[in-house]
Amino acid sequence: MTRLRDAWRTHVPLPTSVVLIVAAIYVALKLVRPVIPGSVILLYMGFVIAGATIHVTLDDARIRRFLDFFVEVSGREPRAIRAQRWALLAVIPLVLGWWVYDALRPKYAPPVEIFQRHPTVGEEVLKRVTVPAWAADPAKWRAEDVAVGKRLYEANCAVCHGEKLDGQGPAAEGFRYPIRPANFTDAGTIAQLTLPYVYWRLTVGGIQNQFNSAMPKWTASDAEPDASTLHSNDLTSDEAWKVILYIYRGSGFEPRRE
Amino acid sequence: MAADSANRSRWRGTLRAACLVASLFCTAAWAQGSDPGDYPTIAGINSRLAVWIAAQLHLMFAAFVLAVPMFAVFIEFLGWRAEKTDRVAARRHDWLAHEMASLLPVAYSLTAITGALLGFLLFTAYPKFMHHLTGVFGPTFIVYPLFFVAETLCLYFWYYGWHRWQGDKKWFHLLLGLALNVFGTIVMFIADAWATYMMTPAGVTEQGALVSLYDAVWNPGWMPLNIHRLVANVTFGALLCSAYAAYRLLLSDDARERALYDWMGYTGNLIALFTMLFLPFAGYYFGFELFAFSATYGVTLMGGVLSWLFIIQAIVIAVLFIGAAYYSWLGLLRIPGSEAQQRWSPVFNVLLIAGFAVWATPHTMAASIEESTGGFHPVLGALGVMAPKMIAVTLVLVVLYASYLLYRRAGRVPTVGWARTGTTVEWGLVGLMAVTIAALGIFGYFAPAHIRIKTSIWQIYVLIGGIAATFFLDQALLRGAKTVAAVRWGTMPRRGQYVLVLLAVVIVWLMGLMGYARSGARLNWHVFGIMEDTSPNAGLPSLGEAALVITLITAIFFALLAVAFAVAGMARGTDERALVELSPQGEPQ
Ligand code: HEC
Repeated sequence: MTRLRDAWRTHVPLPTSVVLIVAAIYVALKLVRPVIPGSVILLYMGFVIAGATIHVTLDDARIRRFLDFFVEVSGREPRAIRAQRWALLAVIPLVLGWWVYDALRPKYAPPVEIFQRHPTVGEEVLKRVTVPAWAADPAKWRAEDVAVGKRLYEANCAVCHGEKLDGQGPAAEGFRYPIRPANFTDAGTIAQLTLPYVYWRLTVGGIQNQFNSAMPKWTASDAEPDASTLHSNDLTSDEAWKVILYIYRGSGFEPRRE
Repeated sequence: MAADSANRSRWRGTLRAACLVASLFCTAAWAQGSDPGDYPTIAGINSRLAVWIAAQLHLMFAAFVLAVPMFAVFIEFLGWRAEKTDRVAARRHDWLAHEMASLLPVAYSLTAITGALLGFLLFTAYPKFMHHLTGVFGPTFIVYPLFFVAETLCLYFWYYGWHRWQGDKKWFHLLLGLALNVFGTIVMFIADAWATYMMTPAGVTEQGALVSLYDAVWNPGWMPLNIHRLVANVTFGALLCSAYAAYRLLLSDDARERALYDWMGYTGNLIALFTMLFLPFAGYYFGFELFAFSATYGVTLMGGVLSWLFIIQAIVIAVLFIGAAYYSWLGLLRIPGSEAQQRWSPVFNVLLIAGFAVWATPHTMAASIEESTGGFHPVLGALGVMAPKMIAVTLVLVVLYASYLLYRRAGRVPTVGWARTGTTVEWGLVGLMAVTIAALGIFGYFAPAHIRIKTSIWQIYVLIGGIAATFFLDQALLRGAKTVAAVRWGTMPRRGQYVLVLLAVVIVWLMGLMGYARSGARLNWHVFGIMEDTSPNAGLPSLGEAALVITLITAIFFALLAVAFAVAGMARGTDERALVELSPQGEPQ
């Protein structure tokens, strides 16, 4: 074991090892499919480079070992070492140069979208939503209401949100940008929301993200006479509540209490 | 053409930054649907931005002058206790406490100045809101300055009477320090009442008429914020003291002086690390109360506009911990003969970096069209959920604790008869702790949500239990240990001092970030649900703009702090004779 390490050290000096490890991690991250977003790779590489810097500067001997490789040229060293030095001296500036170029060159892609999982809505808007008595308490939900909700869900929502409420409906892959249909079994979606919020989300809320999300607006026809024709789907408010009961029952979560 | 448009977009970036700064000074002053008298503009300044900057600066200086006396008096007390057993240690502690206190007078003036500025801005730019606040909190507005004056008096007598009340009058000096802390805490609690009333109002009718002042003060958010601020302020103050020590060390060319400041930086960093461990819990407690008060807070902070702040927060906290750990590894270099311990640093480094990379993995990611997988990544998404993050963060804590154990061991040889078995058992326990935590986490990952919550609580139990067991074992093991090499204070590499400065900058920035989150969460309300903000500036800035303002605040804060440091440094001519005696040797307690 130590023999192996010593052999490695004589043939691969510290700077080469560091560069190799950083490069290997970068390539590995790049190879993951589906691709990891650039913002996340940047985050990871930030950690990796910080770690590499710490590694090299843990004591003065290491720093010297790192720098001497570039500075202390003895002339009697093996050719392989010399080749490594020149390779690093070429590769490091090239990578930095490419990085700068890549950041500066004009790009025509739309800017990276930061999506808000739950659009923000004022308290005063939510106050106007009245939860019907039969829907307010999860302990008292009637099985027949949930069953009606399930039928409505399968007819209207399952294409996107999936039969199993996992966001994997047949149409889901078509809506990848900026955000795919919500996975209701994930703790980050409806489990975080109150009943009035979900109702608002279903009947009006889509409008805020109208051009950003495939989620249609399920306008209750009597309540919203001048609904947008583009995003108008008919669910009466009764039906909307029943669908909501079902997505909670079906996913096993309870609405957040106020 | 292409280069041209790139150029132009670059320009636009610069222009936007310039506009942001310019908007401080001139804003279109027409309000929609509100009486312009409610929001007069002062000299064309963007009042919201001005109040933001003034409030944050005031808060930071206030945090500093509140926190430093807490541990300074404690350190002074330690010195007083040691007077009979170890005179050198006693004097050294007294020196340290005084050194920390020497930063206070200037910081105090800056607190008062920024406070006055904040008050002026609020009363002139938000008269309607301040009228409401005075209506509710009238009596506290009278008591507050009284306590503030009492605090100031205590501080000045405590600091300037330091050398007068030594020896058998020391108890009086300590009592003064205690009174300073009590008054300081009361002052903060009163101000917290105003701030939390704005978030979680109580004791008033829906129209904002006062029903009970008691309820308005003790509103749901009050105690959680009090606790959170107390703990966070100590972390903050200790890191700033460390930065001061680093600054003095880097300037000094006297070995004995360097030794003292090295010890000061080390102590400050230790205090900060210790208090930092409690912060997440205090934060969760505050969050719970907020969410219980209104679901809107939950949505805004966890999935809505402000949720991205917490992803940034995760990264910044990682930087804090990694920096502190790096500093402690560099600290081994000042202990001769600690090569056996130093060998572990690279291993810990890898574990720490990997742990924090997992911890900072976002659950929802920012992606361009080509990269997008719909906000959720099938591979990384698995890392972005709670179970792996809990494993990562608890293992990181194990690594930090193991670093601490190694540091204690450096330069010392246990003399107890069972040293060998003891050491094996100790490290066996640490290893077992790590394995159990990982196993619990993996089990929790595949378990349904309600069990997963339980496994994460168990992970904490294992962590606390393991730390407690090995800690006492270690105490027994090193009892009467032979010190083969004393700590050579002041010989740490200079980069360690730069790390301390970095940590101070990071904590200030973090405090600005979280201050924005706390205040921004109210959205369009002055007083949540009771008094709406109808001013023309009532919107939230974009993430980038918020980050710029926070950075600007950090820069102003350090510019002012640099003045305080320079003044404190000027006032403290070091006494040559005292230094010889003071230079810390061996392990500080
Ligand atoms: C065309 C595809 C599509 C259909 C059909 C669809 N949705 Fe959605 N839905 C989405 C997308 C995409 C999102 C995520 C983006 C967003 O939140 O706007 C979403 C989000 C949601 C959310 C918000 C979850 C959160 O965490 O904020 C709810 C609730 C919801 N859908 C309910 C339903 C219900 C109920 C139906 C059927 C009546 C339905 N959706 C039909 C695409 C769809």
